[in-house]
Amino acid sequence: MVLSKKQKYVFLTFCLLPTFIVFCIFTVYPMIGGLYYSFFDWSGTSSVKEFIGLGNYQKLLSDSVIPKAIVNDYIFVFVKVFGIMILALFFAVALTQLRLKEAPFYRIVFFFPNIMSVVVIGILWQFIYDPNIGIVNGILRTMGLEEWTRPWLGDMTWALPSIAVPAIWAGIGLFMLLLMGGITDIPKNLYEAAEIDGASEWQQFWRITVPLIWPQIKTSIIYIVITSLNGSFVLVQVMTAGGPGIATEVLGSYLYQKAFEDFKFGYGAAIGVLILVASLLTVIVLQFLLKKEKVEY
Amino acid sequence: MNIIRTLSGLAVRIPLLIWSFIVIFPLLWMFIGAFKTNAEIFASPWALPEKFNFQNFLTAWTDYNIGTAFVNSMFVTALGSLLCLVFSIPTAYALERMRFKGNEIILNTYLSSMMIPSVLGWIPLFFLLLKLNLLDNLWALSLIYAVSHIPFTIFILISFMGNVPKELEEAATIDGMGPYGILFKIVTPLVKSGIITATILNAISFWNEYFLALILLQQESKNTLGVAMDLLKTNAKYESAWGVLFAGLCIAVIPVIIFYSVFQRHIVKGMTEGAIK
Repeated sequence: MVLSKKQKYVFLTFCLLPTFIVFCIFTVYPMIGGLYYSFFDWSGTSSVKEFIGLGNYQKLLSDSVIPKAIVNDYIFVFVKVFGIMILALFFAVALTQLRLKEAPFYRIVFFFPNIMSVVVIGILWQFIYDPNIGIVNGILRTMGLEEWTRPWLGDMTWALPSIAVPAIWAGIGLFMLLLMGGITDIPKNLYEAAEIDGASEWQQFWRITVPLIWPQIKTSIIYIVITSLNGSFVLVQVMTAGGPGIATEVLGSYLYQKAFEDFKFGYGAAIGVLILVASLLTVIVLQFLLKKEKVEY
Repeated sequence: MNIIRTLSGLAVRIPLLIWSFIVIFPLLWMFIGAFKTNAEIFASPWALPEKFNFQNFLTAWTDYNIGTAFVNSMFVTALGSLLCLVFSIPTAYALERMRFKGNEIILNTYLSSMMIPSVLGWIPLFFLLLKLNLLDNLWALSLIYAVSHIPFTIFILISFMGNVPKELEEAATIDGMGPYGILFKIVTPLVKSGIITATILNAISFWNEYFLALILLQQESKNTLGVAMDLLKTNAKYESAWGVLFAGLCIAVIPVIIFYSVFQRHIVKGMTEGAIK
């Protein structure tokens, strides 16, 4: 394009500036503000905003809910990564390798929960677990396993796994499709050659499929970890609000309760910073752990 | 050999069928429950309703504010998606096609902001809107939704704009078209499918959004579906109005199902590409 310098900069300003301004106001400022507020003791009314330095962070260290919430956050991460990856990988291999006629049906069905609202998923599963009208206890009763029935979400030990199940339920489809994309790109002759060399299907899976779709596996794991650390509290807040007691509390739901229910905004902001630090550190560690030479045949 | 094939096909199909059942059954249960009376729900969670009546839907829609919330959700979804495009298209074009100092820095600022948990910004955002007197305002909520998806939309649009041949722009320049004309009359129509993909994904997230709406909206008349559903759930618990609750869930899900059946390809492509980023 032949534009004078001035015209070019006017055009660039037109393209970039308005967007950048709203982005700074509604995305950058709140994030920096989150850091800033974490140094104050503040109940929301501006008259009693007191600078307390690292006071909120000291309080984080002595708050007994925090370690529990961190552990729960990482339990979710592990359960989701393993649950989703194992099932998604199995389904992806099944749907690509064995040319099933009804494959499109499974793809459409498995993906659908990915686009459902977390609130709807949370409420729906709350009723699936309902002690009286729920499906889970209903199935157990018809199978004669009356003693296994329990109020799943009200049970100190079972509440957390009960929330992890819908998280996996809602997550599989996307990652299955992601992995399927990788598998269909693997040249067919690699499998033919392996077959001739007498490699079993299991060996083919570990020696050919897994190494060649490693980039997709890695992306999926990192994506699951980030979205879980930054977002699994929505399901928690909808289904149990952290209860019973603090059995299912995670950092995000605790932040919401502290800030918007107890009006301890400074402390809430400090929890937000903790979530930021945790998720950035986790991603760095993951990048390092999942580093693996790229395989090419 | 044939028998082995059939058997292994069966062995693979069983888990696939079980998972299909696990996905479909809760949804089916929800739809059937929406047509049942409370007595029927308690009598047997499995049975079909004696007759299909729409009373639960009417009750949810009028008495429990789901109707208002539905309209509000439509509003923020439409306005949010539109604003997001208005902000993202020019920026994506400038970042993809123009050479200037700071190009990389701006792009990386947008992209890296996607890594930062949005929870961190909620408290300042709440007070910012409080100061601007914009709490409980659906226009403000739409704007915030739009801004929150600018980086993702820019990211999708840039990948589509990369495929627009530069010769077209050069030819248009020779014909005397200015940069604004090229952007809006040449490039924008050519990246239509990128715009559709990004917009569908944005619209689904805005439709489903819950937490920002919970924090930033206050009156019941302003609630969007997520918040209204949560409220309906709490009320349904006290009043045991399960059928109404199921009907409300259906109202929230049906537009997504329609969207999914029409735009399935776009949704799948956009989401898998978005994850790869």
